[in-house]
Amino acid sequence: MSRVLQSAPPPPSAALRSFAAQWQARPADALTPLREQAMQRFLKLGLPTTHDETWRYTNLRSLAARHFVDAPPMARNEIEPHASLSLIGKADRAASLLMVNGYPTMPVADGLINGIEVYSLREVARLDPGTLLRFLEPLPDPDLQRWTLLNTALYVDGLYLKITGRVPMPLVILHVATGDGADNIAYPRVIIEATAGSSATIIEHHVAQGEHTPLSDSNTHITLGRDAQLEHYAVYATGAGATHFDSLNIRQARDSRCKQFTIVLGGGLVRTGIEAQLSEPGASLDSHALLVGYEARHVDCVNVVTHAAPDTRSAQTARAIASDVSRVIFNSKVIVNAGAVHSQSQQSCRGLLLSPSAEIDTRPQLEIHTDEVKAAHGATVGRLDPNMLFYMLSRGLDRATAQSLLVYAFLADVLTGMSVPSARASIENALIAQLPDSQTLRKFR
Amino acid sequence: MLTITDLHARVAGKDILKGVNLAIRPGEIHAIMGPNGSGKSTLAQVLAGREDYEVTQGSVSFAGLDLLALPAEQRARAGLFLGFQYPVEIPGVNNVYLLKAALNAKRTAAGEPEVDAYEFLTLIRQKMKFMQMNESFLTRGVNEGFSGGEKKRNEVLQMLVLEPKLAILDETDSGLDIDALKVVSAGVNSLRHPERAVLLVTHYQRLLDYIVPDHVHVLSGGRIMRSGDKTLAHELERRGYDWVLESQVA
Repeated sequence: MSRVLQSAPPPPSAALRSFAAQWQARPADALTPLREQAMQRFLKLGLPTTHDETWRYTNLRSLAARHFVDAPPMARNEIEPHASLSLIGKADRAASLLMVNGYPTMPVADGLINGIEVYSLREVARLDPGTLLRFLEPLPDPDLQRWTLLNTALYVDGLYLKITGRVPMPLVILHVATGDGADNIAYPRVIIEATAGSSATIIEHHVAQGEHTPLSDSNTHITLGRDAQLEHYAVYATGAGATHFDSLNIRQARDSRCKQFTIVLGGGLVRTGIEAQLSEPGASLDSHALLVGYEARHVDCVNVVTHAAPDTRSAQTARAIASDVSRVIFNSKVIVNAGAVHSQSQQSCRGLLLSPSAEIDTRPQLEIHTDEVKAAHGATVGRLDPNMLFYMLSRGLDRATAQSLLVYAFLADVLTGMSVPSARASIENALIAQLPDSQTLRKFR
Repeated sequence: MLTITDLHARVAGKDILKGVNLAIRPGEIHAIMGPNGSGKSTLAQVLAGREDYEVTQGSVSFAGLDLLALPAEQRARAGLFLGFQYPVEIPGVNNVYLLKAALNAKRTAAGEPEVDAYEFLTLIRQKMKFMQMNESFLTRGVNEGFSGGEKKRNEVLQMLVLEPKLAILDETDSGLDIDALKVVSAGVNSLRHPERAVLLVTHYQRLLDYIVPDHVHVLSGGRIMRSGDKTLAHELERRGYDWVLESQVA
């Protein structure tokens, strides 16, 4: 076994040393050379600091002194059934897959759920590592993808979903984080391949259970073949004590369409990032972010979309709300490569501050290396419009109701884009529960 | 019904109302006219309870209540309605939701049960037909994408549904073509009732051909400079506001 650390100086922080120790303890598999590269790169880069451009607003200093150990794999029957674990209703005939701390618990023997082929990553690595290597490619921007490098090095198992037909029913992946101590870490990994002409809806729902929530370093890699269509949801609903670094890589072939929703409803520190490549003409991506900060929560979302071919299209819509002493950050960047003519991109970021101590930072960026593109971006952060508020008060609505309706209206742009009615309803419910006067608001749905 | 006594108000540090006195009895229609900047809209907003408009002196009683002591929402529930000069667009809040919430707020305050959904929809459709409004109104956001005329019709529709004791209509005629003006006027006239009153704020006499007032007042420099019956409006139209101001000085 080759081991990176024997020749290198010891990593400078307890956290890095603990990651190195985890790496040392991993058994070799067919992916070891690739994993080793990733590990070396990660250790060289170290933990992100606020000097790193995309980590300016998120300080991870407190992590450095911690000694992380692997979160335990748990059997399915150890997870308590819980109402909050069900994001979508039976009416949509959705199937669900359970992953605990990144370990899938396979509910069906034949590996086919709602017409989607489902495999364990561990099994695929054993039987067909070539397939996996296609999806664990080198990353274009390691600064942004640092936690993905660590995930690549250290994930043990995960899910590979292969969509080959038109799948009408949504599939839910329920990620449960549950630890047996304070410094657990989990590395959930999901690979979704939508082959040419296929279509599906996948919902990833992150929740926590129990006293200790492991730090979650998760990654999802999505590939869309020619003409494929995918609607993907990432919903984060963990507790105030949870730290979550999630990244999503999207690769789109000719005329494929991806609709993505990032919904942050919980977690103490949640960092999400989309890195998307529109690789062939006609590829189209609509990404939506709904970021809700309250109490002392910290939400940081960084998206980078690259138009690498002509006639590609992307639209990003972000709505951020911050109350109490929370902080929400949304940064998006669109890169239009040389030759990607007739590309179209839109970025719309709007922030709503609900308390004087809350903070929202948003910055849409454009980097264009060709002519003949249409690119628009806009960002606003403000408070509730006093004219709108007065109008509603003058009609007799009480202040709390009026405020809640305005907050809800602010989020409506994103909610109305959701195609799965029961998922939309549950997300709305969860959102409303975070708003003032939620009781009254429910009556207006 | 409404008694305004020596009302002074300030907006953004500037004194706008400088001692307004006005009494409106049930069943009456009053018109307040005046040049631009005379304080007409300020008076309407102050009565409706706009918080950033500071009342520095005076009192207002409405239906036996100390109006100035109440927040805007309680004034509305007590039966005061302001038709806005520039109704705000609120995308994402459905027109019908807002109207239903408004009606229920009023009913709850009066100790009545909330309106039944079917009954409400029937009422809305009937009033919409009267106001010649498009069905699409039911599904749209509050004033969202409405033309100027549609917004004014929507204000009057809300008024018809809420049946206020006192309706203050701030330049409801501005920006209306003649057909829309007739529809809006018919709406206001349909509300005429011995127990209700209307205060029209307008710049032009034109509206008063369709809604005939019992009393006309000229507001200028933050005070009511002259009051009279409907003929005062015609005289103003003929001689202009300068006439009132000059005759006052003389």
